[in-house]
Amino acid sequence: MAMTTKPAPATTSTTTPARSGARRGSAPGASRRHGEGLAGYVFLSPWLLGLMAITAFPMLFSLYLSFTNYDILSSWDFVEWVGFENYWDLFVNDQTFRHSAQVTLIFAFVAVPLKLAAALSVALLLNRESRGVGLFRSLFYLPSLLGGSVALALIWRAMFSGDGAFNDFLGLFGIPGQPWVNDPDWALETLMVLAIWQFGAPMVIFLAGLKQVPTELYEAASVDGAGKIRQFFNVTLPMLSPVIFFNLVLETINGFQGFTAAFVISNGTGGPVDSTMLYTLYLYTKGFTEFQMGYASALAWVFLIAIGLITVLFFSTGRFWVHYSDGDND
Amino acid sequence: MHPATSPTANTPATRAHRTPFGRRRLLRGIAATAVVPLVLGTAACGDDAASSDPDAPVTIEFFWWGGESRAALTEQALDLYEDKNPNVTINPTWQAFTGYYDKLATISAGGNAPDIFQIDDNGLAEYAGRNVTLDLTPFVSSGDIDLSNHPESLTQYGQIDGKQVAVAAGENTPAMVYDKTKITELGLPVPETGWTYDEFVTWSAQVTEAAGDGYWGAMDPSADYKALWLWLRSQGKEFYDGPQLAFTEADLTEWFQFWLDAREAGATPPADVVHEAVGGGVSDQLVVTGKGATSFMWSNQLSELGKSTESELGMVAYPGDPKGQWARASLYWAGSRSTEHPEVVADVIDFLANDPEAAQILGVDRGLPSNLDNRETVQAGLDDPYMTATVEFENALIPQMGPAPAPPPQGHGPLRSTLTTVAESVTYGQASPADAAAEFFRQAEATLE
Repeated sequence: MAMTTKPAPATTSTTTPARSGARRGSAPGASRRHGEGLAGYVFLSPWLLGLMAITAFPMLFSLYLSFTNYDILSSWDFVEWVGFENYWDLFVNDQTFRHSAQVTLIFAFVAVPLKLAAALSVALLLNRESRGVGLFRSLFYLPSLLGGSVALALIWRAMFSGDGAFNDFLGLFGIPGQPWVNDPDWALETLMVLAIWQFGAPMVIFLAGLKQVPTELYEAASVDGAGKIRQFFNVTLPMLSPVIFFNLVLETINGFQGFTAAFVISNGTGGPVDSTMLYTLYLYTKGFTEFQMGYASALAWVFLIAIGLITVLFFSTGRFWVHYSDGDND
Repeated sequence: MHPATSPTANTPATRAHRTPFGRRRLLRGIAATAVVPLVLGTAACGDDAASSDPDAPVTIEFFWWGGESRAALTEQALDLYEDKNPNVTINPTWQAFTGYYDKLATISAGGNAPDIFQIDDNGLAEYAGRNVTLDLTPFVSSGDIDLSNHPESLTQYGQIDGKQVAVAAGENTPAMVYDKTKITELGLPVPETGWTYDEFVTWSAQVTEAAGDGYWGAMDPSADYKALWLWLRSQGKEFYDGPQLAFTEADLTEWFQFWLDAREAGATPPADVVHEAVGGGVSDQLVVTGKGATSFMWSNQLSELGKSTESELGMVAYPGDPKGQWARASLYWAGSRSTEHPEVVADVIDFLANDPEAAQILGVDRGLPSNLDNRETVQAGLDDPYMTATVEFENALIPQMGPAPAPPPQGHGPLRSTLTTVAESVTYGQASPADAAAEFFRQAEATLE
């Protein structure tokens, strides 16, 4: 079943927004390129077959299932077409759906900006040519290598429980501890910290972006009397904005897809008191523990459309703050 | 995840492609060839006619959950079956309880349900009601599966809609496990079967008082369906009546209020400590983690709990009238409806349920043997003192037990989660007992259709 969309491998590694400039007319060599195109598709065919078999078909199938009462155990003879009933139930009667959407939105919109801020701050610190900087880059990247692993979530749960290592650490400074993951007021925040801590991937991309900023600009700015802070806001940030945009879109999608940590830390329950009931976790529960696969498919499609809308929103606002140095921003 | 992948919203197309016909046809061809086998693959697997030759080689997939020791015993018993029936090969697969049902559901959905699988009363109605299980009734009436020596209540506990859908692998009953070492240290009496709930709470508060910081007399079982069930039964009520709830919102409010008061009195720990043990895993229980003197468990778990702690443990019935207890099928063996060898499946189940040698091997790991003759011989040969205690406890309790209820209906699994969530909203102080009870009934209405 299609849980969520996997980002498709990019054909180009830049995310150039649509230019509203003049479009080139069809080139005279179009027919010759047609042959090349066909060859291209032939070469692509193994991947295309894979796409059809393991992405496109299951996705469309889950779209079909979302209009049925399919439960994972019954035989196909019992599958009935129920039209929009699943969607109706979801939007009208399902409080947990509303709650889990809310939890997910809070999680993504708090954790992602903080994660990007952490990534950018560390990237700025590491953007220098001094000895040992390579070591630090590796060290800061390490947590991301661990990814959304179960082992990491288990360690997190042990560290942030009432009698875990984190409270012992706080105790050294005389700060009273909290039962973090076992407290509905803190459990989600503990998950956020885990997500923020894994800022390695955006950090590396920020580092690459920082290296791209021409030094002449800094020189020119300092000649004009701009200090370090002014340089950061007037040179670095605008020049980095495409990279920020890229990271923002990517990390937001990742943030929405968070599952493993919440699943492991709450034992698959989304507890305590549904405080960590991320949307993906709710979807999983519906599909695999309550066997309502049709309903879960409807949840998955609502989720896909929501992520799509948020991404579109980012792209539409991007024109106002993303600055591409190589072209005229009309 | 990977920095080199870009989001789904890829570079917006800037150029309208004119798709030439040839390419479109190529793509369509590719799509068709990709989809056709998949469509065929999802077609339901038909019931193949069973092979008529009784000595033809047969392979049986066998699936259960449990720990290492259970796996060793089970595999030993299955090897014995293979020795006696050389044409049968049994492929055992096992895993921890966490994720077991997810996996079982997934492989069943793929039409590859294991020929024989372990299931408990929380899943039986879900699977039997959706026709995943093999109907064993014909094998029982023909005597291929011999249940004549099993207690009637256990046999009935494997029947749904008048069909024998599973056979009890063993018998257990809910049991309150207590930390004998600690309680004796504190100079307090150990709990006894037949205490009222009020007596129990008073005693628990004394334990908390005597033990000092970070130790409590009892687990708060307000989120635990079996504790609620026994509390209801001890008052002559029931949890389910067919597919409906048999208790009222007022009952549930009273239940939540009772444990809220117990916590006020100091009998039970704060919400976050309770939450750590709510998942039900043996290693998380308060008697194991050293935070509480009593845990609400099942009788066959005593041995496993005992292995996880230095303290000596003891076991009594849940508080209240012991008629709340019943002889429950701890686990069942069920067959898959899509199996190609139903007779072999029935024969293996019969072997596990009745064979004296198999019973000796399996011991009381899944509870007391269902077959009463085996129960006596197995008891005589036990060398684990905790297993002996389990047997003695259960035998002593049987005369006081109430009649067994029907197995829980479909929707029981999700309802247990609902109970946990609403009960915790009370313990964490987010909702009043009355509001939580109302919420439970609101959700139950949708779950128990």
